[in-house]
Amino acid sequence: MDFTLASFVNALILGLSIGSIFLVAALGLTIIYGTAGVINMAHGEFIMLGAYASYTLQNYLGVPFFLCIPLSFVVVALIGLVIERLLIRYLYDRPLDTLLATWGVSLVLMQGVRLIFGSDPKYIQMPSFLSTNIAAGPISVSIFRVFIFLVGIGLVAAVWWLFYKTEFGIKLRAVTQNKEMAASFGINSGQVYALTFALGAGLAGIAGSLFGVLNIVLPTMGMGYVVEAFLIVVTGGGALLGSILASGVTGEAQSIFAYIFNDTFAQFLVFVLIVIFLRFRPQGLIATGGARR
Amino acid sequence: MEKNLYHNRLLQWLVYVVFFAALAVIPLVMDDAFLLNQLATYGVYGMLALSISLCWGFGGILNLGQGIAFGLGAYGMAMTMQMQTQDPEYSPIPPFMLNNGLDALPAIWEPFWNTGFGIALALIVPTVFYLIFGGLMFQARVAGPFFAIMTLAILSALATLFVDLQPYTNGVNGISPPAALDIGGFVIDPYMSTSYWVVFALLVLSTVAAKLLTQSRFGLIVQALHNDSERVRFLGYNVAIYETLVYAASGLIAAIAGCCFAFLTQYVSPAQFDVGFSISMVIWAAIGGRNSLLWAIIGAFLVQGAQSYVGDEFLNSWILILGFSFILIVRFLPGGLGGLAETLLGMVSRKRETQESLTVGAGEPETRGA
Repeated sequence: MDFTLASFVNALILGLSIGSIFLVAALGLTIIYGTAGVINMAHGEFIMLGAYASYTLQNYLGVPFFLCIPLSFVVVALIGLVIERLLIRYLYDRPLDTLLATWGVSLVLMQGVRLIFGSDPKYIQMPSFLSTNIAAGPISVSIFRVFIFLVGIGLVAAVWWLFYKTEFGIKLRAVTQNKEMAASFGINSGQVYALTFALGAGLAGIAGSLFGVLNIVLPTMGMGYVVEAFLIVVTGGGALLGSILASGVTGEAQSIFAYIFNDTFAQFLVFVLIVIFLRFRPQGLIATGGARR
Repeated sequence: MEKNLYHNRLLQWLVYVVFFAALAVIPLVMDDAFLLNQLATYGVYGMLALSISLCWGFGGILNLGQGIAFGLGAYGMAMTMQMQTQDPEYSPIPPFMLNNGLDALPAIWEPFWNTGFGIALALIVPTVFYLIFGGLMFQARVAGPFFAIMTLAILSALATLFVDLQPYTNGVNGISPPAALDIGGFVIDPYMSTSYWVVFALLVLSTVAAKLLTQSRFGLIVQALHNDSERVRFLGYNVAIYETLVYAASGLIAAIAGCCFAFLTQYVSPAQFDVGFSISMVIWAAIGGRNSLLWAIIGAFLVQGAQSYVGDEFLNSWILILGFSFILIVRFLPGGLGGLAETLLGMVSRKRETQESLTVGAGEPETRGA
C-alpha cells in the first residue's frame, strides 16, 4: 500500500467518525450500566427497534427524517420502560441474571420484529443534502458522518446537562453512589432506575434511527453493535467520560489498522488489544471511585 | 446427613446409570441412520451444556463464548479429516486452497498430516487457549459479567479472523472434508451406529469425569468460588488458578464436542463461532438446571429436541417461545428444571421425615440431624 498524507488524514477522519458511531451506540448502555449496574444485552435490539420505529414512521406516516429521530427516542424509551417495570426491576440485585434475562428479551424482540416486518432488509431515506460529500482538496467526508458526529456531541452535552444540572441528575447520582442512603433521604430509587433505563433505551433508539440510514435495517442488525458497545463501556470503566475516551481511541485504532491491513483484521486486532489492556487495567480507563469490578 | 433425596450421592450415580443406559438402548432398537446421526448431534449439544454447567453452575464463571473451544476443536478435526483425503505426492494441497491461489500447503496445516497428532492438536490448542486467556483475565480479577463480555469479544474476534483468513480456512464457506474420519483403519461413518457409539462413549466419559471432578477436593473449592470467591481468597487459596483450571476443563469438554461435531457433520464453518450458538448453550444449561451436570444435558436434549420437533414451519414462533421461557426461568426458576426437581424432592423428603419423627415421638428432635 502506498502511503500518502491525504489518505492517512482521511483514515484519521474516518476513525473519528467510527468513534462517534461507537459512542452513540454505547451511550445508552453506559448510562444503564453506570447507574443501575444492569448488563443490558438487549441494547442492540433497542438500536434495532429505533431503526424500525424510524422506518415505520417514515414509510407509513410520512414523518420527515429529522422528526423520526426524536420520535424513535420516545418509542424505544416507552418500550424500555415497560420492560423495566415488567422484568428488570426484579433483578437489580442479580447483575449476572440481568445479563441472561435481557438476552431472553433480545431474542423475543428480534423474533417479534421478524414476525411483524419480515426478514427482508428495509431502508430509511434521508434528506438528499445529507448524502453528499464535503471535499477539501484530496480529503473528503460524507456529510451524514459529520451529522452523526454532531448528534453524538449533542447527545453527550444533553446527557451531561441532565446528570449535572438538573434535580433528576442529582437524584440519579445519589442513587448510583448509594441506593439505600439515597432512599433514606426520600429519593424514590425505583423510579430513578426506571427512568434511567427508559433514557438509555431511548438513546439506543436515536442510535438506531441513525444506523438505519448508515446500513440496511434488519431484525439482526443489533447483534453487531452490542458486543462493540459493551467493549466501549468496559474499556471506559462505566463512566460517561470513560466511554467518550474509549470510543475515540478504539475508533481511531480501528480506522488506522484498517488503513494498514483490512477491516476484518482491524476488528480482530482491536478486540485483542482491548483484552490485553483490560489485563493490566481491569477497572477501565476512568475508574469510578477506585471500585474494582 | 443430607435429608433431601436429590443430594443423595448414591442415588445421583444411580440416576446417571439409568440415564446413560437409556441412551445406550436407543441404537439397539432403532436403525434409522439419519435419526441416529441427529441423536448423536444432540449428544454433542449435551456435552456443550455439560461444559457450561461445569464452569458456570459449579465455578460461577458465566462463559458466553464456549464456541471458542467448540469451534477450534471442530476446525482441528475437520483439518485432520481433510488431510486424510490428501496425498503427499499427488495432491498435497486441499482444493479450496488452490482456488484461493495458494501453491503450497501452509505451515499451520502441516501437522494435520498425522491423524493422531491432528486430533491431539484439536484438543490441546483450545485448552491451552483457555488456560492463557483465562489466566490473563482471572489474574486481573476480571469476573462475573465482565468476563462473560470478554469471552463474547474473543468469540466474535475469532469468527472475523476465520472469515478473514480465506486461503487457510476457506472463509465463510468453511471446510467440508470429502470422507469420513478414519482412525487407524477404524472408520467413523457419520451415518452408522458407530458414530453414535463414539459420541455416546465420549459423553459418558466427560460426564463421569466432570462429576468426579466436582466431588473432589478441587471441585469443592471451585464450588466455594461460586458462592463467594472473596471469602475463598481470604482463606488463602489462589482463586485465579482454580478459576483458570475449571474454565480450561470446561474448554476441553467443549473441544471434544467440537471434534465430534466435525466428524458427525463432515463440515465446519465460522457458524460454529456464532455468538447466538454459544449463548444457546447457556440457555440449554439454564433451562435444564445449571447446578446439575445431568440436568444441563437434559436441558440441551429438551430444547434441541423440541426445536426439531416443531419443525421449520413453526421455527419463528419457536424462538419466541424459547425467549419467553428463558426469561421466565431466569426470573422465577434460577435453578432451572433441576432446581425444581430439587425443591420437589426436598418437600417429599421433609414430609416423610416429619411423619417418621411423629411416629417415633416428638420427644427426641436432636437425633434427627445426626
